[in-house]
Amino acid sequence: MGASTRRDCGTREQRIFSNHQRLTLMTATIAPPWSGAPTHLLYHPAAANAHHVPHTPPGGVLAHLERLEAESRKKFEEPQGAESALGNKIRNLRSLRDKLRAEVNRRQAGVEASVESDQTFEVSEQEVLERKRENVKSILQAYRFTGLSGKLTSRGVCVSISTAFEGNLLDSYFVDLVIQKPLRIHHHSIPVFIPLEEIAAKYLQSNIQHFLFSLCEYLNAYSGRKYQADQLQSDFAAFLAGPLQRNSLCNLLSFTYKAEPSGQSFPFCARLLYKDITRTLPTDVTVTYQGTDALSTSWEEQRASHENLFCTKPLHQVFASFARREEKLDMNLLY
Amino acid sequence: KEMDEIVAEFIKRTILKIPMAEMMTILKAWDFLSESQLQTINFRKRKESLVHDLVMLCEEKHANVNDAALLDIIYTQFHRHQKVWDVFQMTKEPGEDIDLFDMKQFKSSFKKILQRALKNVSVTFKDAEENAVWIRIAWGTQCKKPNQYKPTYVVYYSQTPYAFISSSRLRSSIPLLGQALTVASKHHRIVKMDFRSRYLDSLKAIVFKQYNQTFETHNATTPLQERNLGLDINLDSRIIHENIIEKDRVQRVTQEIFGDYPQPRLEFAQYKLETKFKSDLNRGILAERKEPLRCLVKFSSPNLLEALKSLAPAGIADAPLSPLLTCIPQKRMNYFKIKDK
Repeated sequence: MGASTRRDCGTREQRIFSNHQRLTLMTATIAPPWSGAPTHLLYHPAAANAHHVPHTPPGGVLAHLERLEAESRKKFEEPQGAESALGNKIRNLRSLRDKLRAEVNRRQAGVEASVESDQTFEVSEQEVLERKRENVKSILQAYRFTGLSGKLTSRGVCVSISTAFEGNLLDSYFVDLVIQKPLRIHHHSIPVFIPLEEIAAKYLQSNIQHFLFSLCEYLNAYSGRKYQADQLQSDFAAFLAGPLQRNSLCNLLSFTYKAEPSGQSFPFCARLLYKDITRTLPTDVTVTYQGTDALSTSWEEQRASHENLFCTKPLHQVFASFARREEKLDMNLLY
Repeated sequence: KEMDEIVAEFIKRTILKIPMAEMMTILKAWDFLSESQLQTINFRKRKESLVHDLVMLCEEKHANVNDAALLDIIYTQFHRHQKVWDVFQMTKEPGEDIDLFDMKQFKSSFKKILQRALKNVSVTFKDAEENAVWIRIAWGTQCKKPNQYKPTYVVYYSQTPYAFISSSRLRSSIPLLGQALTVASKHHRIVKMDFRSRYLDSLKAIVFKQYNQTFETHNATTPLQERNLGLDINLDSRIIHENIIEKDRVQRVTQEIFGDYPQPRLEFAQYKLETKFKSDLNRGILAERKEPLRCLVKFSSPNLLEALKSLAPAGIADAPLSPLLTCIPQKRMNYFKIKDK
């Protein structure tokens, strides 16, 4: 333990010593910064001889004094001439400066005038371009109303399919395509029960247009069927005698209803099958009567006509017509 | 009819599992005890006596095994992470007609198939959102009544080929369950995918390809999220990052592979390797072998995909990552068997 500390002390001492060395070296070579003129630390006899120390002049003291007087007169006169010459020079330079300044100002004004006119021109052009850009943006945004639109992406295109039914804009679905060989779908928002893989397998590589139109067909039909079922549940709930049974694709609907909710009509059971999921009208309709007695002819006629109605008209429109008949009956009762 | 002792015990044990904070929510979702009945309960009591009171109320209402099973389903729906879920995929014969799915028909068909095969089995259904159905099956044998404490759960999304089944030790029941599902949903074959997790919602998001729902459109009202991989980038302009070109490349590649969206949550990926051992050294005990080296590599994380996403930006791995790791959502797999080509 003792030996090592001593060694440490030694090294510490060494380091300090070397610092000192450096410091002293510095002071020896560089003059302190606060001195103005270069200082000479040592008085050098050779330097002393130059100009500073006077010695005895030739011709005596008087002659020397005369010489000094002549020198001073010369020095007095010289500035006069020099002064006028310098004064002229100054005046010339000043006038030249003023001329140049005037020229600069003149040219500056000219440039500013031209720049201003350019700027005003640019501003109006910019406004026009901005308006054009906004216009194009709005047109691109409005394209969604055509049902099929898209936007270029870094890897391909993102296609938007906006579905509609009877003029009502419904849900939008997206397919992000990567433009490569082979063409592939990066990600999408198509519901899992729509046969996207089937449609892609058939058309995506061979005919992209067919792929998109086919997908549009399936999605619009699904949206339309969903819309009809939603309308029935929301607007015509009074006509339903029980919950509406439906499935994901809205291609099987089953419900019990009364054509006249307030009246004495019998409840009918309707079962609508949409075997073609590219259509919004059912392919098979069965309307049955849930009673034990046989139906009278008038009720049988009604049942058959309802079956026909469900086959040919959208679901909510059938119920809307029931509602109108109800109103008419009410009106008749008033009179 | 008096409430069965077995049912009473079953209800008691189920209610005991429910944490106090969730008690009211779950009982309301169960919708078996009325509002007025629930108001008579003092929820500040000690849990044991509270449970006793609730069981009494259930007895008053003559709860049966089906009611108890429904409560169990609701509890499991709230605590779905307590089970490990497998994913099964069904296929149809090509050229099959469009699926006209009738939920009533499905349920009755499913139940019949199981009850025809097993004398003692109890099946309970609960409808869920997106036209899905939760099915609870308690298995018995020819002689024994169904064991209510080891049920199997099936979550089936109608008009899709996918079913999520809770892992159970009762391996013998799986083929029958698969058959019942396939026939009732009008499919032909069922196959177990190499995809398993506790996080049912993540499995669904990946299998249904719903995990990336950001799309570039002209009508976007919200701007695309800034590419922020959660790194603490020093915003002081006086500090310049070394290798900023490389850092940018890594960020770009990571964003291309993993996207801007939050990753669905998985907790592990498992790779079974049956490949020949490759070594840089010319000699080694393992290098000379002709047979493949069998080993199992398992990656675990509270959120595996987020962890993988952060590897390259953190400097721990090169970008792009190995496709064996990044293919998990696209391939819908987290169990891999790797052999030499």
